[in-house]
Amino acid sequence: MTHVIDQISELLIQLQSPDFYERESAVRELGEYGRDEAVAGLVIAMEDPDLGIRELAADLLTKIGGEVTSQLLISFLAHDDIATRNLAAEILVRIGADSVPSLIAGLDNDDHDVRKFIVDVLGLIKDDQAVPAICERLKDDNINIVCSAAEALGEIGSPDAVEHLIETIRQTADARLQAVEALGKIGDPTTLPELEAMLETNDPMILYAAIEAIGHIGQKESVERLSGLLDHADNTIAEAALMATINISIANNGRIGCDLPLDKFTDFLFEGIRNKNDRITRFTLDRLSHWYGSNVIESLLDVLEHVDENDLDRITRVLGEFGGSVSHLIVKKIAQATTPVKLTLLEIIKEFIDDDIAGELLPMAGDADPDVRRKLAHILGMSGSPKVVPALKELATDKNGHVRSAAYGALGWLCSVEEIDFLFEGLNDKYSDVREAAMGALIFVGGPEVVRRFNDDLYNDDVERQRLAATALGMIGDADVVPPLLSAINHPEPSIRKSAINALAKIREVENTSPLILALSDENSSVRKAAATALVTINGEEAVSEIRLLLHDDDIWVRYHAINLIGDAGSKEHADEIMSCLDSDQDIVKIAAARALSKLGYRDAIPAIDSLRGDKNQDIVEAAEQAISVLQEVK
Amino acid sequence: MEITIREEQGISILSLSGRLDLASGATLKDEIKGLLDKERKLLHLNLAQVEFINSSGLGVLVSIMKEVRLCKGRLTLSDLASYVQEIFEITQLSHIFEIFASEKEVMDSYQSETVS
Repeated sequence: MTHVIDQISELLIQLQSPDFYERESAVRELGEYGRDEAVAGLVIAMEDPDLGIRELAADLLTKIGGEVTSQLLISFLAHDDIATRNLAAEILVRIGADSVPSLIAGLDNDDHDVRKFIVDVLGLIKDDQAVPAICERLKDDNINIVCSAAEALGEIGSPDAVEHLIETIRQTADARLQAVEALGKIGDPTTLPELEAMLETNDPMILYAAIEAIGHIGQKESVERLSGLLDHADNTIAEAALMATINISIANNGRIGCDLPLDKFTDFLFEGIRNKNDRITRFTLDRLSHWYGSNVIESLLDVLEHVDENDLDRITRVLGEFGGSVSHLIVKKIAQATTPVKLTLLEIIKEFIDDDIAGELLPMAGDADPDVRRKLAHILGMSGSPKVVPALKELATDKNGHVRSAAYGALGWLCSVEEIDFLFEGLNDKYSDVREAAMGALIFVGGPEVVRRFNDDLYNDDVERQRLAATALGMIGDADVVPPLLSAINHPEPSIRKSAINALAKIREVENTSPLILALSDENSSVRKAAATALVTINGEEAVSEIRLLLHDDDIWVRYHAINLIGDAGSKEHADEIMSCLDSDQDIVKIAAARALSKLGYRDAIPAIDSLRGDKNQDIVEAAEQAISVLQEVK
Repeated sequence: MEITIREEQGISILSLSGRLDLASGATLKDEIKGLLDKERKLLHLNLAQVEFINSSGLGVLVSIMKEVRLCKGRLTLSDLASYVQEIFEITQLSHIFEIFASEKEVMDSYQSETVS
């Protein structure tokens, strides 16, 4: 024991060293002891000239806590140095409930400053056990302590203090403000009569505090009483009454059962939204659907930049509900808005775009931001107005590819046959997105002239133009495109032949299938497979007699494809030929044949399939077993 | 093309099956007009069974959209087969139409709009 005391004594001496590191080391070591003597040393270290050491000591004292620490720290609340005093108070708050008994005991201190600090600290600790002692301080001789005690009771929020605070309101004029505020924070509805009586006062500070307190308590019965103050001559009081009403409204999920003269408070409410006041924002947006007036719309448009994504969605919906009647206000706002707001407003206006609004939006084609020009192109296209065509053609030559792409798409929606030459120009754009958009527009326009031009393009020197033409003809998909697509089956380029065949398969209404039958002998295996698929799609089971020759194709994948097609077509007529595939030297062909025969329900194949069960390839064995299991169920 | 119509939570759901071209598009347009005349303005087209759509079919859809807009209604689409989706993307119609992956998503969307 003596040895420990000696060591602590040495550390206490070390705390006086001019060397920072020695002092810091002493503080750390003292922190490890946690004994009363060490605590005294740490408290001394709170006065160290170095901030780092002071903070280290504070952390260690907080960790140690306890009665001795608290008592020592309370003695520092009378310290001459304000920084040391504040540090002691801060540590006491951090220690929390453990320091409360010592703090309560200190409330009898002769020094009124110490008593005031203790009350303040107790208010910050917010522990109910301090309430009776603090209530006693409401009768302190020193008015500063009475005020602090009222504030502390408000912070703690215990209803046990209510009676004492009401007494203070009645008896101590100089602490009335703090006592009213405290009642508001405690939020006990039984105090409302007292607080509502305060609404008669001539003292604007007390009146303001009483209004605020009533709002905090949040009883909807108070709204009527507050509504009388909404037209108060002093704007601050009127706005406080509205804010209190807002708090009550939020506490009651918006159900306050009365109309409010909100037009008078438009500036206040929208300023609140701009300042990101969540309560004002929520209340205001909740009221929007039944609060009309152009000043409201203009104010709404002004706060778009200040709200979060959810609120922006709500405002967008509300503006959408107002419909075309607000479109001119929106157009006016767009001109001075930031890019994100412009994009939002364009999104809103999209819902009710018409000829007139489209005309008003045309100047935006010169906007500096490509995202805005791109969105504008879409919206102009949606207007269906022929007068936007020149602007869209201008945007289709924009320096930005995304804008050009959007403009071509929009020109397509307008279905302008007069612009076919211009749209075909877009097929030469350096960007594939733009070329495809021009193609999409031409698909939309359709008609004999477009088909004729795409037919010519099938034989254009540019392979890309050939590809686009084959795709476009397939998607135009009416009777006019069938002859050019049938001719394209003889195209020198295999990918075009395949695209043409795939397109015919989609169209289906093809009377002359001879070119497709010929394509079964195409030199390119992908073309042969596409032709087989197309024939089955167009002619169904009848096509099987044509595609069966592919069961002997040189290409294993063509054989595989043909077997699957015949199985899917359900034609038993050629089941024997598929059975011969069970003897193929290619495993994948055997598997496809077993599956196809089971789909056809061809029970005669069971013995042949059964022989595959002894195959060394497990996949074949599984396919055979599954096929037999299916066939055994067939009657 | 076959069109079946059912009502669910106040929304008229039209399930289309087959090919959407000029001829079938005219039938669809008539059906939609009939619904709009009956003040049914929340319309949904389920395109899961639409295997083919050509340029005339696209034109019909755009004209239906304009009609619905004029009546201040809402038109949604869902379950686009891959080919239909491809043609919607190439023609950029995905920017004009409200397209959902499934009918459930559509119903959720109507629901959330009602709630908010």
